[in-house]
Amino acid sequence: MMNRKISLIIFLTFLSTAVFTQGIRDSVFRVPPVTVTTVTIFDKEEAGMKESVVDSVTILEKINLSLSDLLSENTPVFIKDHGRGSLATASFRGTAPSHTQVSWNGININSPMAGMVDFSLIPVYIIDELKIMHGTASIADRSGGLGGSINISNRPDWNNRLSGRYMQGLGSYTSFDEFLQLNAGNSKIQSKTRLYHNYSKNDYTFINRGIGNIDPQTGQIVNPVDTNNNAAYRKYGLLQEVYFRPGNRDFLSVKYWGQHASRTIPRVTSYEGPDNSNLNSQSDTDHRLLADWQHFDGGSKLELRTGYTFKQLNYTFKNIVHGIGLLPVIQSASRQSSFMNKAGYSLETDNKLSFKASLDVNFYSVNTRDSVNNSGYRGQRSEFSVFFALQKEIAGLLNLNMMLRRDVIDKNFSPFIPYLGFDLRLLQKHELILKGNIAGNYHHPSLNDLYWEPGGNPGLQPERGYSYELGLEYRALIPRHQIRAELTAYRSDIANWIIWIPSYKGYWEPLNIKRVLSKGLEVNISSAGKMGIISYNISGSYACTSSLNYGESHIWGDESYGRQLVYVPLHSGNLVIKLSYKGFSLGWQHNSYSERYTTSSNDISRRDRLYPYFMNNLSAGKELKIGNVMLSGELKIYNIFDEDYRSVLYRPMPGRNYMLIIMIKF
Amino acid sequence: MSVRILYTIFILSLLSISCMKDELWLQHKNDTEGSTEGLFVVNEGNFMYNNASLSYYDISRKEVYNDIFFNTNGIPLGDIATSMTIHDSLGYIVVNNSGKINIININTFEYKGKITGLTSPRHIHFLGDDRAYVSDLYARSISIVDPRAGEITGSIDVINNESPFYQHTTEEMVQYGRYVYTNCWSFDNKILVIDSNSDELVDSIEVLIQPRSMVIDRFNKIWVLTDGGFEGSPYGYEAPGLIRIDAEFRTVEKIWRFEKGDYPGSLKLNGSRDTLYFINRHVYRHPVFSEEAPVVFVESPYRGSAGGFYGLGIDPESSELYISDAIDYTQRGLVYRYRPDGTAVDTFRVGITPSSFCFR
Repeated sequence: MMNRKISLIIFLTFLSTAVFTQGIRDSVFRVPPVTVTTVTIFDKEEAGMKESVVDSVTILEKINLSLSDLLSENTPVFIKDHGRGSLATASFRGTAPSHTQVSWNGININSPMAGMVDFSLIPVYIIDELKIMHGTASIADRSGGLGGSINISNRPDWNNRLSGRYMQGLGSYTSFDEFLQLNAGNSKIQSKTRLYHNYSKNDYTFINRGIGNIDPQTGQIVNPVDTNNNAAYRKYGLLQEVYFRPGNRDFLSVKYWGQHASRTIPRVTSYEGPDNSNLNSQSDTDHRLLADWQHFDGGSKLELRTGYTFKQLNYTFKNIVHGIGLLPVIQSASRQSSFMNKAGYSLETDNKLSFKASLDVNFYSVNTRDSVNNSGYRGQRSEFSVFFALQKEIAGLLNLNMMLRRDVIDKNFSPFIPYLGFDLRLLQKHELILKGNIAGNYHHPSLNDLYWEPGGNPGLQPERGYSYELGLEYRALIPRHQIRAELTAYRSDIANWIIWIPSYKGYWEPLNIKRVLSKGLEVNISSAGKMGIISYNISGSYACTSSLNYGESHIWGDESYGRQLVYVPLHSGNLVIKLSYKGFSLGWQHNSYSERYTTSSNDISRRDRLYPYFMNNLSAGKELKIGNVMLSGELKIYNIFDEDYRSVLYRPMPGRNYMLIIMIKF
Repeated sequence: MSVRILYTIFILSLLSISCMKDELWLQHKNDTEGSTEGLFVVNEGNFMYNNASLSYYDISRKEVYNDIFFNTNGIPLGDIATSMTIHDSLGYIVVNNSGKINIININTFEYKGKITGLTSPRHIHFLGDDRAYVSDLYARSISIVDPRAGEITGSIDVINNESPFYQHTTEEMVQYGRYVYTNCWSFDNKILVIDSNSDELVDSIEVLIQPRSMVIDRFNKIWVLTDGGFEGSPYGYEAPGLIRIDAEFRTVEKIWRFEKGDYPGSLKLNGSRDTLYFINRHVYRHPVFSEEAPVVFVESPYRGSAGGFYGLGIDPESSELYISDAIDYTQRGLVYRYRPDGTAVDTFRVGITPSSFCFR
């Protein structure tokens, strides 16, 4: 009840602000056009690198969701989702969650503690541009992206004078989404402000396969219908950007992104203990601050950036104790701060040669403590990274790209990280490019891996990857249509892969014991344009990911050798179709995965199966222009076939559910 | 043009016909098979995966039946199965993170009911047909249950408010006369004594840091293994010990110390209850009369620090040893069967993280 009240208050506050700003609207009015982002595919700076850019139509379509939903439904990145609103981690090209590096406007936002990112905590609201670097293409930004990297950016619109939008979403399971954005400025200074709030009680019902009750009449065992209790989540935040352009040569920006997220974590479905026991809750408070200066002079660019991120992660686990009440068994607080600095210089000469150099100086610190048993650890890390790149275009036919990076972690020099890539134009009249690269990469253990008590292993080696890939990229601009297609094959051999495993010492310990050979194929095809009076946008992707364990076997009975890693589907694919006609729009989203294994030996038991997954969502909307205001409404239907499914064992996901979104733009 | 689009949509939608339905995959199947001599292997499973399972091994025919609880009843055992105890013809499987005890018929494996409402149950100890104690990791009390009615009838508080740590957690239980002894493992060093007539905590015995496992031998000596905590533990870190306690006088008689960093556990007695076996990386043997240090009985095949023997069970009839190996903890584990003279008899594969045994 209280939550509903808070949501309503926020809704009304946002609404009144929207009406107010509408009243004082500037005479200069502009509806930002929905653009399909295009990238030059023959670019020496990106030779051999596989990048995919999520288009603005998709970003807008997914605006009320988390980045986890967008990635799983629109990209080849596989997301292991622990439930609606719960922890969601990435497996990119068959790698571990910590092998996907995530940046926000150039600063890394992976947790220094766990090394990974919970994508359910990143709302699509804050994204203007989303770029995915596959595999070793991520070396251009940093080391460690053995799977790749995901880069979130914000951009100013220098033509903007005053604009804004307000979105209200109402959905099944008492879900509310509120989002307000205001942009103001001139050709020299621009400000963008975003405020958002999400809440969901998340109390869907499901047939509980984890519990059996004996029917007193028939003696049959029946599964009860249960509610997804203790699963509510709330997230609210602010993103403020200020851009300043004193002349044509300098570009400055300051950005702040603050967010608080709190959620309760559902118990296992087989739980039949006391109602007020086994209660988990987690809250994540993030502050991220960033300042950036870019100076352009002829063909050269100098960039200085400094960023600070702070995260407070609190977790409690409580039980009822007779005669006392609720008592925490775990009450942990973790404070993680990162201070990141970068200086970069790039130069492009007339004879199609470019040069880049950069230096990163980062410092990370973690302090985690459980106040019940007074255990925890403090850990710090300093990190220097030097980067050089040399890129050359030869006769408009061939691009060559050489990059070299070297990290110094806590005063220890890591081996060189080399990258050699090329683009070869195969046809003169068409954009058909053959591209490839060969590279090495390292991923350093997280601070938890090194210092967690008990078990942290300061002797861990970095994970080492060698990879190569080859691909074909095609782009065609025929009248009224734009077609893009890309096919990539890769092979990546990762040694010293870190896993946590119980040791004979009695606790879990991270060890460099796995070797993973990941091979795969990625296909992306998209087409956009107009067919008669209907505008369409179709995109699809398919990934075949064979990620096999070739780690040393300790005993003869180990059946994990040569087997697919757990929770990595061999086949995954998605397809999105969006049609629009005179302000009406219709969207269909499909994505599917083949069976995922939950045991390292790939045993399939009837009890624990994550059988193939086929998900379909549908959306229908209407845009209406009234004067200078654009009003739009959209109804989204998720899981239209009301499928029973789960993405991790015994974590039921919701059936058919709805979301109504209303947006006002000016 | 638009006809083409509609056609495309039609073709694509054929690809997405609803096909995720649990009923297609969860067909209940009954493959129970009677056998005279057998043992149950409790496979703990992985935390939060709900993949605990029960295996049955026919001792004379050397045949193993896996996943018997699910295959017979169509429901999973739960999350983290800790122990199984047989009373009459019923088997009581304590499922820790599911907060319940599942009850089966030990001959047909059929689900007979459950005891629910337990916070974090570990073991069940029978005092009679209608009375049993259930130890608990988090409740700070021992539950008194009526196993026949499947109900909780009372509780015994074991709160220690004097300690800054979360005490007491209760684990294994042994009985001497009317007194039930239970070890308090987590951030603790006590053996609690409970009077089963009055259901009251009457005494405690201080041992070493973190008593993990406990048995009582035929001469009424209580044997305790401690694990010594871990490096950096706020509660302390010391060399673990094997401790002999006189059950009558509740005094510590003798301590054998291990090396710092060792992690002994799974203390068990042979059929005649005069020889101890336990796991400390390898399987050790220690006759109760011995004043010497325990000796290695079966050596672990593991060389590095990862993996190793996980659970131990001893047949009360034949004194044969069953040693479980969880391998990497995410695949089905193995059980090795040995004669009391050390000769290997059989090896069989069970479920994920086999941790304890229960002889029928």
